[in-house]
Amino acid sequence: MGGSLSKVMEKLGKAFGTKEMRILMLGLDAAGKTTILYKLKLNQSVTTIPTVGFNVETVTYKNVKFNVWDVGGQDKIRPLWRHYYTGTQGLIFVIDSNDENRIDEARHELDRILSDREMQNCLLLVFANKQDIEGAMSPAVVTERLGLHKLKGGRLWYVHPSCATTGDGLSEGLQWLSANVKGQR
Amino acid sequence: MAMAPPRKGENWELRQQLNSEYRDKRADAIKRVIANHTIGKDCSGLFPDVVKNMQTEDLEQKKLVYLYLMNYAKTQPELVILAVNTFVKDTADPNPLVRALAIRTMSVLRAEKILDYLASPLSKCLKDENPYVRKTAALCVAKVFDLKPELCVEYGFIETLRDLIGDGNPMVVANAVAALADIHEASLNIPASPPSSPGGSNSPPPTSRPSQALFIIDQATLTKLLVALNECSEWGRIAILSTLARYKSVDEKESEHICERVMPQFQHVNAAVVLGAVKVIMIHMKNVTREDLLKSLTRKMAPPLVTLISSPPEVQWVALRNINLLLQKRPDILANEMRVFFCKYNDPPYVKVEKLEIMVRLASEKNVDTLLGELKEYASEVDVDFVRKAVRAVAQVAIKIDEAAERCVSVLMDLIETRVSYVVQEAVIVIKDIFRKYPHSYEGIIPALCSNLEELDEPEAKASLIWIIGEYAEKIENADELLGTFLDAFKEESYPVQLQTLTAIVKLFLKKPDESQVIVQKVLQAATKDCDSPDVRDRAYIYWRLLSSDPAAAKSVVLSVRPPISLPQTTVAPAILEELITEVSSLASVYHKPAATFIGKGRLGAEEMQRRTLDAEEDVSREKALQTVVAGNQAENLLDFDADDEPTPTNGGPSSSSSRGLVSDGIISSQAIASVAKSTNPLDELMDLFSTASMTAPSTQPIAPASISAGVTGLSGAGGSSDPFASLSGFSSPPPSASGVTSPPPPQQQQQQQGGGASDDLLGLF
Repeated sequence: MGGSLSKVMEKLGKAFGTKEMRILMLGLDAAGKTTILYKLKLNQSVTTIPTVGFNVETVTYKNVKFNVWDVGGQDKIRPLWRHYYTGTQGLIFVIDSNDENRIDEARHELDRILSDREMQNCLLLVFANKQDIEGAMSPAVVTERLGLHKLKGGRLWYVHPSCATTGDGLSEGLQWLSANVKGQR
Repeated sequence: MAMAPPRKGENWELRQQLNSEYRDKRADAIKRVIANHTIGKDCSGLFPDVVKNMQTEDLEQKKLVYLYLMNYAKTQPELVILAVNTFVKDTADPNPLVRALAIRTMSVLRAEKILDYLASPLSKCLKDENPYVRKTAALCVAKVFDLKPELCVEYGFIETLRDLIGDGNPMVVANAVAALADIHEASLNIPASPPSSPGGSNSPPPTSRPSQALFIIDQATLTKLLVALNECSEWGRIAILSTLARYKSVDEKESEHICERVMPQFQHVNAAVVLGAVKVIMIHMKNVTREDLLKSLTRKMAPPLVTLISSPPEVQWVALRNINLLLQKRPDILANEMRVFFCKYNDPPYVKVEKLEIMVRLASEKNVDTLLGELKEYASEVDVDFVRKAVRAVAQVAIKIDEAAERCVSVLMDLIETRVSYVVQEAVIVIKDIFRKYPHSYEGIIPALCSNLEELDEPEAKASLIWIIGEYAEKIENADELLGTFLDAFKEESYPVQLQTLTAIVKLFLKKPDESQVIVQKVLQAATKDCDSPDVRDRAYIYWRLLSSDPAAAKSVVLSVRPPISLPQTTVAPAILEELITEVSSLASVYHKPAATFIGKGRLGAEEMQRRTLDAEEDVSREKALQTVVAGNQAENLLDFDADDEPTPTNGGPSSSSSRGLVSDGIISSQAIASVAKSTNPLDELMDLFSTASMTAPSTQPIAPASISAGVTGLSGAGGSSDPFASLSGFSSPPPSASGVTSPPPPQQQQQQQGGGASDDLLGLF
């Protein structure tokens, strides 16, 4: 009963313009994915432990319901990312802007994700995270290092600076996603 | 790169639904997955998709996903890691049920990869404020220990468990005890090796190496256990009781205290708790000397045991097996309760047989009349096997209670008069035992027995009657006639009957030499010439030799006074009985065998079994190689066989049977056997090789010590009967007695003297 009612509500919601988006948030370990997720969800900065596995939360932002999947970034979990690609409309790739040493590793992972057939049509939002730290790479540098300009297939992408602990830049990212998701469908 | 799953079929459909954006669709899909799993379809391919639905507010859905994980984690070990974060989150859930569920599920996945992630949530749950979570976590420690003992040491889980014994909640105490007992047992099986302490941050104290006794119960623990015992669930009680059984009390007072505190458990409805309590009391009773307490303990132990007899047959049987064991240790427990063991007409056969055995144990002067009436009744039932056992029981009672022997014999005679073939035969068999116990008391019934001669068609019954005739040949006027009838059909008879006929006629000859000269020669002729059993032939040769060289010696050997038999108080060796008493309410006490004999070493013997299978495979190939070698050697041996000193074709064959055959009527000492064995041909060495190879085969069962000694001291015409008691009682050549009657082993010295003289002759004989 409750199930069918919520189904009706969901359908109604769609008819009246509330959108739902399935977002996958990936990135190297310690980039700040889980912190971003809970900053968005609870609006507070939580202390996290490395995510072995995944977190999933629903974040509503300006009439759009984001189903955000945050999958751990440790080496041994990266091969399992692919299990989460199905149905993803937007990919949030989180970069630790302060970790220049591993930016190439990040690029490598990103390329691998985007080359998957199931990720062909999804939006790409890159958070150049940890901007609060002195000497962090600027969004432009991150764009450059990730080689986004050379992306093929007409993919929509957007790099935005962010700071997970304070929440700066996160809503702008979501704003971009919700604005562009329509064109995707 | 993803192994593209087929885009059709039920699993593909389910996958789509599991990834649906609608919650109810996903919940529905999970239910369908579980439904598919329960009917046996393989759903392991959906693992990642099911795991995605793990984080949910819906408790029902969570439980279903957990259920799925428990079943499929093993098939997808590398994906299990995806579930870890959710587990860890759930162990911090505000709902204690979720916390307990998470920690429990996580520890049953048995995936090595996630063990390290289990440690910190587990230590959190062990200290949870909610007792339900604590008690669940306590059991998880045992599971973790099973997979990775060093982890438990590193995180101090075992100390935490010990602390939990002092917990305020009895269920927590019980589970901590259960876990510790489990760990203790497991750790004793781990080969002693220093634990590798990874990390090293938290180096284990030297006292908690996993390879030693990890659960030592001291007096403080004891008090806590006794307090918790009365308050926890039946599972907890069983765990606590089995731990109490392990405790070694320091003095009598403490033993008394334990007994007094455990006694109330007799009233519990659960049979396992009752048996557990019985076990504890049986163990600690040993130290109690106070008469009145002992008396009240035995008195109070009876009603719960009697109650168990009214349970369903399967439980009843387990109870009966245990009671059988307990009675061997303390025959007085149920002295006044024989009536409850009377068989009901609708009892299953296995229960009836067990009851019969217990009734014989409980038989005493006071109740023997009722018992005999009952047994007579059983002897008229339709189940042949049961009837035979009932008849046998009558004889056992006769042997057990001297005063009742006469009544038993009259019951048996009544039964013989029924003329029912199997009753008569069994009665004849058991009367032989009665004759052995009371040699000259009931000769009056011999004519009646002999009148049934024609009706006997079973070898054992025939052999028994022949033995009786031989034994009382001087009292039976037509003994030579009677034996003659058997001699006429000598060749057609089975070997045990042949052996008995042979011996009986020799006895007859020694008692009445004048009348039976002819018949004895005939039998010796027949046995040596026409018989193809080496046992019979060898015995005939020995008799022949004895009779022709020294009739006086023959008399002292063949007509020697046999030691009287008695009913064994126990069916298992005393040491094993002690061990089995400590195992009451386990499989060991049902089998009446120590656990080690039917489960391999290691926890459940699984590893041992695996190892043995490997060994066996190796053996098979080795055996094959050996066989080829033997084949070659045998051919050689056969060629120069004639040159060998010993013409008997059996000397190199199954040597055990041939030496057994030689050993008859106590003539041969082990020395003689040795001398025979020494002179055998080289084939023996190969035989040894074979026997060692077959020893390592997995099916090898430990040989009961009794049967080994029987093999050494001598086995008469029992014809390789496997019953150790039969072989013992068969020593001085009465017919095989399979009725569980034993006689003390004969004096070795006498035998040696005789054997020493005889062995030379023997060798000359060939």
